[in-house]
Amino acid sequence: MSLKSSSATVRKQSPGFGLGLRPVHYPDFLEAPQAVDWLEIISENYMIPGGKPLAMLDAILERYPVAMHGVSLSIGSTDGLDAQYLTELKALANHVQPMWISDHLCWTGVQGRNAHDLLPLPYSEEALRLVVRHVNQVQDTLGRRILLENVSSYLNYRSSEMSEWEFLRQVAEQADCLLLLDVNNIYVSGINHGFDPFTFLNHLPVDRVQQIHLAGHSDHGDYIVDTHDHPVAEPVWDLYRYTCARFGDVATMIERDDDIPELSVLIAELDRARAIAAETLAPGVQKTREAAL
Amino acid sequence: MKSPALTDLQVAFHDHLLNRPNAFSREVSEGGRIGVDHRLHIYHNAYRARLLENLQDAYEKTWAYLGDETFESSALAFIEDNPPQQRNLRWHGAEFPQWLEKRFPQDLDIAELALIDWQLRLAFDGPNASPVQSAELAGLTAEDWASVGFQFVPTLFIAPVRFNSVAIWHAIDQEQTPPAAESLPDPTWLLIWRKGWQPHFRTIQAAEHAALMQLQGGASFAQVCADLGEQFSDQEAASVAAESLRTWLQDEMIVGLTGMSA
Repeated sequence: MSLKSSSATVRKQSPGFGLGLRPVHYPDFLEAPQAVDWLEIISENYMIPGGKPLAMLDAILERYPVAMHGVSLSIGSTDGLDAQYLTELKALANHVQPMWISDHLCWTGVQGRNAHDLLPLPYSEEALRLVVRHVNQVQDTLGRRILLENVSSYLNYRSSEMSEWEFLRQVAEQADCLLLLDVNNIYVSGINHGFDPFTFLNHLPVDRVQQIHLAGHSDHGDYIVDTHDHPVAEPVWDLYRYTCARFGDVATMIERDDDIPELSVLIAELDRARAIAAETLAPGVQKTREAAL
Repeated sequence: MKSPALTDLQVAFHDHLLNRPNAFSREVSEGGRIGVDHRLHIYHNAYRARLLENLQDAYEKTWAYLGDETFESSALAFIEDNPPQQRNLRWHGAEFPQWLEKRFPQDLDIAELALIDWQLRLAFDGPNASPVQSAELAGLTAEDWASVGFQFVPTLFIAPVRFNSVAIWHAIDQEQTPPAAESLPDPTWLLIWRKGWQPHFRTIQAAEHAALMQLQGGASFAQVCADLGEQFSDQEAASVAAESLRTWLQDEMIVGLTGMSA
């Protein structure tokens, strides 16, 4: 099956501003409407037989549009794709009918062992061919384009033959998939590897960025770890402002996985993203942006 | 220099995570504000931290019982012995109770407590089923009662216990000092299942255990009652059978009736 589109723009219209759904916030979302346009679920948390999590999910689906975000696809593993995992992912997608499905441009294990970490790939022709083949298989199985997210990384390989942004662009174009741009991860990797995050952003294809992640990190001085346990950092907000200017109106959400605050705190943080996007995308600014880009 | 094949690179990286002999550091670029060893350490550390956190989450009461230091050293040793093989992280740790049995052979209450933790987690998101209501049984004819059997909730777990691990679990749950571990005087079994959205558990004695085993094996309730009659007086047998059935219904353990003619 070919998903090639003749249209210049393959991404869907933005549903607005969302949050990662976490169990601690189930009551908030179910008891009253919240100022959140959509929610992202961690796919694996609902790839289970039954019980309360699936019941909560069904109640959420009645109230919010949902995107599915996975952590176990391991698209870059030389083991190949896990047929059982894909079957379960497809079953969940049939149930959820998500706006879209995403995972990470990484590998999580090899030779049947799993590190449960988002390990970086070398940016090589060999890795590119492997990932493109796997994305094609996943998209054929799911019958839709998937989104791949750039991960935070802490090492580079000698065998890399291109930059991360070039690799990401090649994957998106050759496999005809979409991108989930994690602005925090770009910042984290930029510090850890010494690249300019604006260069990263400038080299990605605008029409393939379907979603943006914002998150907090832990700054260790010489390096940064992507921990999702802090509010979004100031330099990441600056980068988000530039991202809005370059990529336009893109679905944006905040990921928080540890030290999760009350929902109102995350909504206030999300409001900051809304304000930055509104300011950047205002008609006058938009014209300047188009002229500048 | 020829690039190593991607498989070799990934195997070397994974071997580094698992403390197995490898030459992975040679594949990592130098440069930047931190050295190669530090970069490798970040992944090495993150691997263990993530798996440890998952075990702490799955074995919350066992963690509290052992204390931070003993739990962490045990969990890290388990992680070294049991590299995850499943795609979904939630399944890592399924063998932890059996592993704890070998690590603490003189303190088998620890492994039992871990088994309770794990099975409660399984029951939490196990398969759904609708419980049979008392009214359905009230509508059965005498002929139905002669052959009816019961299908139990799919999350039902039954295992023998030798220690007061259930009392220990409850004390920890209520943030009280747990009682000293002691072996139970009579043969006892642990029952775990989910009622509504909430996992439940209790212990049972030989008579109820035998009845459950028979019913799970396809026996009719009438047969179970007849067998009880051989162990107890008629009055006692009737009382045990009625009390068990009442409890199973109240606990939403029965989800289907079997053995009746259409």
